[in-house]
Amino acid sequence: MLRRLIIAACALASAPALADMPSPASGVDPPAKVAPADMSDQAIGAGLGAALGGRVTPGGLRVEGHYLYQLSDADWFDGTAAFTFGGGSAECFYDRSDTYTCDHGVAQGDGFEVIASVRHFLTGRDIYWPFLHGGIGLGYARYGSDGVGGLQIPLHLGGGLRVSISEEIAIVAQLEVEVGIGVFGHGIGLEPQLGGDLTVGVEFRL
Amino acid sequence: MRVVLIAMLGLACAACESSNVSRDVGARCDENSECNVDCLGSDQFPGGFCSVLCDSDADCPDDARCIAYNGGVCVFGCGSDADCAFLGGYSCQPFDSQGAGAKVMVCLGG
Repeated sequence: MLRRLIIAACALASAPALADMPSPASGVDPPAKVAPADMSDQAIGAGLGAALGGRVTPGGLRVEGHYLYQLSDADWFDGTAAFTFGGGSAECFYDRSDTYTCDHGVAQGDGFEVIASVRHFLTGRDIYWPFLHGGIGLGYARYGSDGVGGLQIPLHLGGGLRVSISEEIAIVAQLEVEVGIGVFGHGIGLEPQLGGDLTVGVEFRL
Repeated sequence: MRVVLIAMLGLACAACESSNVSRDVGARCDENSECNVDCLGSDQFPGGFCSVLCDSDADCPDDARCIAYNGGVCVFGCGSDADCAFLGGYSCQPFDSQGAGAKVMVCLGG
């Protein structure tokens, strides 16, 4: 039994080395692409879309700016500054236990957030490259009609598709979910954050 | 990882919670600015009670009835006192229905 395990371990350990060896038929295989060929080590981008919120998570028009920096062959750091512009009727009230509660709609409130995240490219084809995206943000949400504001710390998880238009420009569509916690004034205190957004933008290599 | 997923699901569930109390009907109040329309404040509405004007039940939220008070306001309907427990200090009482000329059971104080 032990001998079989050792043989299996040796086989597994040698697998990457075998994969790196040139094949006898073609000489040297080109390295497999793990990111778009036109993706440089740095890039900037801007996006426009819609955010869905609710309760004390802002939603509405979403405007984003991105700075990307290469971390590894398939991973880029994505620093994002995002603004959310929603509508604004008063939706906060005292419930029967005298707790101040807010029940805003999916497209209400305003917010600003900075997000540190990582974009990981999946296997793509030609100009189309899907990716996964995850990170953490720090933001401020405000509901002017209620005089309520607070800090929010959401996790961002999602994915998207990058389509190269030229060697310098790409179109990026991204869908993500945000889940986290917020701390609000006016006696509201800690509140869960749940939302999502869909943005489409353009990306330029630096 | 499992703890993070459970925590995220918990947050998501908490964020989806809803109450039938709102600025339209049922919120506690001291003045009209704390409601979308009216803050009712007599002995029949201890703690203050946000309400909207109505001519019939059709003008009220699903779980509310239109009663002949102040020209017609929406309050929560009920079948027993237990249905009014969430309001704190309210009980299920008969009151004149607005427009229909009959009695309806609604949550009132006093």
